[in-house]
Amino acid sequence: MIILVWLSVITLQSSSFQRLLSRIYTLTMGACLCKDTPRGSQGHPVEISDSVDNPSRRQVPLGHIVTEPLNHLDIIESLILNTMYNIKTLVDNDRALPHSLLAIHKIADTESGWLLVVSSLVKVIPLEDPLGPATITLLLDECPLPSKGTIAKITSNLKIGKKTALDERKSKNIQRQRNTCIVLGCLAEKMAGPNSTCLMTGNVLDYLFTNLESDCDPIVILHSIVALEKFAQTSENKSTISQALDQMVPNPLETLEAWGGVNGQLDTRREVTFCAQWTLDNLFVPTGRNFTYKSMDHSGKNVILNCNDVSENLKIAPSGLEARCDASSFESVRCTFQANTGVWYYEVMVITPGVMQIGWATKNSKFLNYEGNGIGDDEYSLAYDGCRQLIWYNAKCEHHSHPCWKPGDILGLLLDLDKQEIIFSLNGNCLPAYNQVFAHARSGFFAAASFMSFQQCEFNFGMKPFRYPPKVAFKKFNDYGSLTDEEKLILPRHMRLALLRQVTVKEDSCTICFDKQDTVMLLPCDHTGFCMDCAMQLEVCPLCRTNIEQRKQVVVRTNSVKILNKDDGVHGTESEETKPGMKSAKTEDEKIQICMTDVESSTDAHSALEATSTHTESS
Amino acid sequence: MAGLPRRIIKETQRLMQEPVPGIKAEPDEGNARYFHVVVAGPDGSPYEGGTFKLELFLPEEYPMSAPKVRFMTKIYHPNIDKLGRICLDILKDKWSPALQIRTVLLSIQALLSAPNPDDPLANDVAEQWKVNEAEAIATARSWTKSYAVPNSSK
Repeated sequence: MIILVWLSVITLQSSSFQRLLSRIYTLTMGACLCKDTPRGSQGHPVEISDSVDNPSRRQVPLGHIVTEPLNHLDIIESLILNTMYNIKTLVDNDRALPHSLLAIHKIADTESGWLLVVSSLVKVIPLEDPLGPATITLLLDECPLPSKGTIAKITSNLKIGKKTALDERKSKNIQRQRNTCIVLGCLAEKMAGPNSTCLMTGNVLDYLFTNLESDCDPIVILHSIVALEKFAQTSENKSTISQALDQMVPNPLETLEAWGGVNGQLDTRREVTFCAQWTLDNLFVPTGRNFTYKSMDHSGKNVILNCNDVSENLKIAPSGLEARCDASSFESVRCTFQANTGVWYYEVMVITPGVMQIGWATKNSKFLNYEGNGIGDDEYSLAYDGCRQLIWYNAKCEHHSHPCWKPGDILGLLLDLDKQEIIFSLNGNCLPAYNQVFAHARSGFFAAASFMSFQQCEFNFGMKPFRYPPKVAFKKFNDYGSLTDEEKLILPRHMRLALLRQVTVKEDSCTICFDKQDTVMLLPCDHTGFCMDCAMQLEVCPLCRTNIEQRKQVVVRTNSVKILNKDDGVHGTESEETKPGMKSAKTEDEKIQICMTDVESSTDAHSALEATSTHTESS
Repeated sequence: MAGLPRRIIKETQRLMQEPVPGIKAEPDEGNARYFHVVVAGPDGSPYEGGTFKLELFLPEEYPMSAPKVRFMTKIYHPNIDKLGRICLDILKDKWSPALQIRTVLLSIQALLSAPNPDDPLANDVAEQWKVNEAEAIATARSWTKSYAVPNSSK
């Protein structure tokens, strides 16, 4: 039985399942669930990595686990609550697995089952639990995709429309309203494209727009905005929503954005303001919008969150000091300032009480948002999680003695590079020092954080006075950092993308990264077109899959490839450490465009890959 | 969007300028690593006439690791499971950084033309394909009609 359960879990290879569970089970489960861990990422030993490709294991009958009669509403509801409870508590519980999650997956296999699961989610996920919204995301992500017919049924089952919105508001059924919005948002994201357009009926739009009225509960308003944002991932929906908003006077989002004028509050209204502003700047831009970044006062600000060092779905406020995630991925960011020696301190104000991993990371720490890896999940970062009360290092966690964090709490983060220790404090109450991360990195640390869905916090790098300054002498980032006026701008996404698209690529660039010059020849297959940085990351030739024995720095001339090392044939005389400095002999005139100046020509196709290693185009 | 690598920019430019016949791949407006993809069911296959929506993510390590691709439209195919996950070697151990979005999508299109029930991801479908190919093809055709034909009721 136990083994059966195990195999079923292993075969349930959904990235989202893995994503969330790897956050939870990393200690014991991570190894089994991380088959997607890309090459080169560190930390997770992959024990059963091939299980997904092994068809014999894929079809373990789940009926063995769920013996009760299925499709019974009470059972589904308790399974859902069970899953939520498990997510919170099973952090390091050795082999206990959420049977509930598997059972729900099984039930949702049929249309009627799926509909029951969704209605039950709306009904039972409690308002108060910080992991409630994440549970909805997780379960929906894990369930099969609904068909167009099923989509129509769910909106009518939930009676989504203006009347329901008003009735629910009147009866203060906040829980149901919020959950409905989260479900709609999740489905819109999951089915981005034609199906999302099908889902966004007039009734659905009416429901969400009605929920934007100021007398609605802020939590409902918030999740309605987020749902609209997720519908807008499909361009057709986006223009429908934008047009509808344009016709409303006043634009409800602008009304909500103006809530921010009342400062200092720390309830959900702050999140509403953030999201309303973000959508107005980034998505549903009204004509003549005065973009927030333009009117931002950046005086005295020398360090912010780095908008060039962030995973792609994190929202950074125009101030550069506040961030929020509404995606289902685990989003991360580093600050602009790097600490190398001395004692440093920054503070974070918790705005939402859910899962965030906030701490310190070097540049080597990777943001693998879709794999669920962030700060604290590799050997180059250490993070504090105040929701599950854990310290994360190298994707392993240990409990700490602080209570759960709540909105308004101040997390203090002290980095002592002289003593090689990190001390976290919550509202001034310090934990003992941690030092694991110094085994792999002794300097080059950045303030860094990762966010689960619907989480938000604000950073203070020393521009404002600290609330709980440590008793020891320390330095503030803001006293040492500097930013140009341009670097302080957090541009709306469409502007950033437009700027990026203008980037051009040189003709002789590496065919893998298109960034550096192609200066390397792989031996023994003689394939060229790579820079040394890329070549060093390769074990086999990308074109013919021959094992790479040597990487030679070469200069390309009009008629021949001259290999700088005269001991051409002698293996081993030129090490892999050959430095790219040798290319300096190459002048513009001497270059030719070898056939591989473009990914297209070099790889169009498998023919290149299938070709044997007797590739001679450049000799 | 974090410091978008030139490789991705270049590939995107190319995809927009010279699209692959039968395949539409557009970057998300807010996320340059996320592509909305529509693949037309190849002529002569049971998927003919259908348009299949896929999502494609370029992970942080791309191109050193493979893009993540998933069918969003329900499809009856031995190498695609009900969550839309695809069993295709180049998306796993046979990935090469010399491959690109374009070649991946071409391979997926080819997979629709030539299902491979001997390397299944959806076991029940593969079984059906082997036991009674004619019936499996009929099912695939009817699923295409139900789920992948625009403006069909279901």
